[in-house]
This record gives sequence, C-alpha cells and structure tokens, in this order.
Amino acid sequence: MNFFKVIRWMVWKDLVSEIRNRENISSMFFFAFAVILIFSFSFSMDARSSRELMPGIIWVAFGFTGIIGLGKSFLPEVQNDCMEYLQMAPVSKGAIYLGKFAGNVLFLLAVEIILFPLFILFFNLDVLDKLPMVLLIFLLATIGLSALGTLFSALTVQIRAREVMFPILLLPLAVPVFIGAVESTRGALNGDPLALYGHWLELLAIFDMIFMIVAFWLFEFILDE
Amino acid sequence: MIASIFIAKLRKYQNGFALLSLLFLSAGLYTGLVVSPPDYYQGEVVRIMYIHVPFAEAAMAAYTVLFAGSLWYLWKREPVIDNMCHAAAGIGILFTSVALITGSIWAKPTWNTWWTWDPRLVSFAILLLILIGYLMLRSFLDDPEKEARYSAVLVIIGFVDLPIVHFSVEWWRTLHQPLSISTRGVSIASSMLYPLSFMSIGLYLLLAYLIMVRTQMLYLEHLLEAKQGRLLSEVHSS
Amino acid sequence: MKTFYLRWGGILVLGALIGFLGWQRYDREVKTSTPEEVLRQPSDKPVRIQGRIEAGSLAIDPSTHAAVFNLTGTGGKIAVRYAGDDLESLRELKVVVLSGKWDPSARLFESRKMALTPNYGFVVSAYLIGLIPMAFFLFRMERKVALLYALIKQEKLYQPEDQHEIE
Repeated sequence: MNFFKVIRWMVWKDLVSEIRNRENISSMFFFAFAVILIFSFSFSMDARSSRELMPGIIWVAFGFTGIIGLGKSFLPEVQNDCMEYLQMAPVSKGAIYLGKFAGNVLFLLAVEIILFPLFILFFNLDVLDKLPMVLLIFLLATIGLSALGTLFSALTVQIRAREVMFPILLLPLAVPVFIGAVESTRGALNGDPLALYGHWLELLAIFDMIFMIVAFWLFEFILDE
Repeated sequence: MIASIFIAKLRKYQNGFALLSLLFLSAGLYTGLVVSPPDYYQGEVVRIMYIHVPFAEAAMAAYTVLFAGSLWYLWKREPVIDNMCHAAAGIGILFTSVALITGSIWAKPTWNTWWTWDPRLVSFAILLLILIGYLMLRSFLDDPEKEARYSAVLVIIGFVDLPIVHFSVEWWRTLHQPLSISTRGVSIASSMLYPLSFMSIGLYLLLAYLIMVRTQMLYLEHLLEAKQGRLLSEVHSS
Repeated sequence: MKTFYLRWGGILVLGALIGFLGWQRYDREVKTSTPEEVLRQPSDKPVRIQGRIEAGSLAIDPSTHAAVFNLTGTGGKIAVRYAGDDLESLRELKVVVLSGKWDPSARLFESRKMALTPNYGFVVSAYLIGLIPMAFFLFRMERKVALLYALIKQEKLYQPEDQHEIE
C-alpha cells in the first residue's frame, strides 16, 4: 500500500468509528463547555478585562480539551488489540503516525470550531471580520498540539497511569504552542495589524514543521516490536 | 559483551575522574570562597555565581549526554547505554534543581525577587519537568526494552523543544515585562575567572564520575535481578 | 570497604579545611560589628560597622567631600564622619557598612571606605544546598555499588557468561 493511501485509510477508519459512536468528540465538547462555564463564573469581566483574558481562557479550554481527546487517540487500538496489527503492518510507520495525527487535527479543530461561537456568545466578542485569521491560528496551534500529542499518546497509551502521564509529558513541551497561540489570538482579536503579531504565527508554523518531522521519524521507534 | 567491556572501562577510569574533580573542586572552592575579592556591585553575593553557573552548565551537559545516549540507544539497542541514560537523567535532576535553587538564592539579594520569568529560568524549569517526566515514564513501564525505547523518544523530543521554549519565552518576556533587570552581561574580571573555571571543570568531571558510578549501579542492579531471577527459575524447575 | 570510608574521611577533612579557611576570611574581611560593640570595646584596629543612618542627622559637606551623621544599631548610636567615594549614595534610614577607626578623643568614627551590606547567609546557603546533597547522593551511590559488586560475587550458584567483568 502506498504512503498516502495508508494515511487516507487511517483517517477514514478513525472518522467512521467516530461517526458511529461519537465518543471522542462529544466528551471533548462537553468538557470544554464545562470549562467555559466555569471560567465565565470565575472572572467577572467587563469589556476591557475580557479582551485581556479572552485569549488565555480560549487556549486553556482548548488545551485541556486537547489533552482529553489526544490522550485517548490510541486507546481504541489498544482496547481492540489492534496495536500489534499496526506494528506488524507492512506499511510505513510514519504514515500511520500521519494518519492518526491528521485525524486528531480534524477532531480537535472540529471541537474548536463548534466551541468558538459559544465564546462569542458568552463573552460578547466582536470577531466577524477577524474570523479567517482566528481560524488560521486555530489550525496552526492545533497542528502543533496534535503533532506532540499524537506521539505522546502512543507513548503513554499502554502504561498504567496513562491519564496522569500524558499531560505531564505534553504540557511542558507544548509551552511554545500555548505562548504563540495566546499571543497571536490576542493580536487577532484586538484587530492589531499583522506585523505586530505575525512572528507568533511564524513561531507556531516553525514548531509545527519541526515536530511533525521529528515525531514522524520517532514514531517508528514507538511502533517497533 | 559490549556491556561488560563498557562497565570494565568505567570502573577503570572512574577513579581518575573522581580525583581530578576533587582537585579542581577544592581549588575552585578555595579560590571562590577565600581568595577572590568581592564584586564592586554585588559584594559577597557574587560568590554564588561560582557555584550556580557551573551547576547550570553541568546540568545542560547532563542533558546533552542523555540526548546523545538516547540516540545511541535507538541506533544500537544496547541495554547498558540505556542504563547510562537512566543514570544521566537522575543526575540531571539533581544538577538542574541545584542550579534552580542557587539561582533563586542569587536572585533574591541581587534583583530582590526569588523568581522572574527569565527565558533561561523557564527553560531550566521545563528541563526539570522533562527529566521528572522521563523518570516517571520509566517507572510506569514494565518491559525494560520498551522502557528504554520510549524514554529515549521522549528525550529527543525534549532536546529539540528546549531551544524553542527558550526563544518563545524570550519573545514573550520582551512583550510583557520590559527587561528592567538585566540578566545578562555580568562582566567577568580575571579574578573571577579562576574560581569560575575551576568549579566548571570540577563539576564537569564530577558529572562524568557520577554518571559512571550510577551507570554501574543500575547495570549491577539489573544484573543481580536477572541472576536472582535465573536462580529462582532454577529452583522452581528442579 | 575500608578504603571507601577512608576516602570519604579525606573528603570530609578537605571540606572542613576549606570551610575553616572561608570562615577565617569571613571573620577577617566581611564580619561587621554594631555601633554599640564599638562603643563598648574601643580598639585601635580598623573595624567594620553596620548600622542605619539616623533620620535627620545626615549632613553632607561638598566642599570637604565629607558627610557627618549618626549611625544607629539595635540600641546605641555612634557619630560618624565619612570621607570617601559615593557620598551621594548616602541616604537617611539607609543601612550601610563602613570601615574605619574609632577616635576616642573626638568621640567620632572616622571612615573612608563604604562596603555593600554583606548578605553572607545567601552565599553560605547556596554552597551548602549545592554541595551537601551532592556529596550525600554520591556517598550513598558509591556504597551501593560496592555492596552490589560484593553481592554479585556471592551469587556463586550461577555465573554469567561474561564473568571477567567483575573483579
């Protein structure tokens, strides 16, 4: 099977199983919804402080949601004893990684796009003209988070303390993603000119590229029997 | 076979490292605490530099050893190299925490704060978290081969990540906190250079010695476990 | 095992020696007295005193490059005439360290040199935190390695193939 076909099949398989049981997306969505609710009670926000805090709140919510979703991304394979088959499959391990990674990006991005209107609604954001830029930021940050998260999910999925270990490993290493995402989201929501926060987008893009390549290469060593 | 040669080499050279490191460290401590004059601006507190900076350098060296060892392990799959990585991580935690604590102690009298979001401080805190995560990951994996492989992967990711963390925090900091207290540019007089370089060399050597000893310890622990396991299975089969 | 303890004894002696030398230097060059101590035991030798400049007592004379003020400690106070660098850095209520001599006839402390307030506790704690856990860690580790070698030698029932590695 050729490389891209493997990726397509991996994404297809995850999509179908997700559409059938809706386990992952719904748990991510309701978790993030709860986080937003708690935040709206924790800070009494006027327009100014809302502009200050909003990017941070968005990315804390998305980050935790990502942990819930990404951490489980290899769980179905383990539960259904498919890990061995993935290991033995005569295809490029990197393609399996990229397939899983693409699926994760799709799921996480879907949840983010469903949730963002709730932010607009609850916190009275005025974003319509900034939407394309915000979506670009979401895409870049989600790719970075998923590139690391997919790899760490494969690392931790078979150990006892999976729920604890996954965020412990992911969060410190994802610091650049969070900084870049929060700063560029702040710039975009404030309506600043791109020149003011463009370097954060570059940082996110560079992070994405580096970790997609590194994780692609390292995944071979994880799925090694 | 490689393992036994490796361990024999460690055992042969370790005493030389220990002796040299002891020499350099005592020279460093003597010049640092007794001979060198106090700094014009910082006074006596500058002496903390002679222990803080070498510890920070040695902590990074420990992580570099860990990184190189992890690459080596993934390439050759030699268990004794994994023992070395495991050893370097444990010692790295010790060095990194000492660097962070002494840095904090140095920051208090000079900048009047225990902690600041300086890029280097944040990178070191992240380094500490990576190393702790590394040891935790190891402790949760049961199969030794898988433990070695997975943890090596983690180390490589962390090694690539640390410079990016450093740069992103640097950018972030220039945005949010104007650099009121400069963390750079402590100009170094020649009288400070002696204690600093003695301590640095001494701690690099001590790091090497510590890794050598700890590698042997972990290797022997595994060997003993394997032996006792074999003994047990012999008892059971007879 | 005997050489092991001997070695660590040597390290301990070396550490104590450096500690002693450091303490001597501290006593000679860093330690400060309070104004009361200078008043109680006047001596001809130069001393360093640490105290707070009393509010309202500071008078700087730019023509002679000298300042006159009272230095207060925990109980008493002492009159000081300071003629040295950094006159402008003197402020009321500031804690300063001055080295100089007590002049009993004029009942005045003559000083020409100001030093930074020594916070030597930070230095000592940094070194102790750096070195003691390290030494303790290494001690435990070396002892364990020695023990493990001994234990492996004892396991006579089964010798590994690569036996020559263990002395």
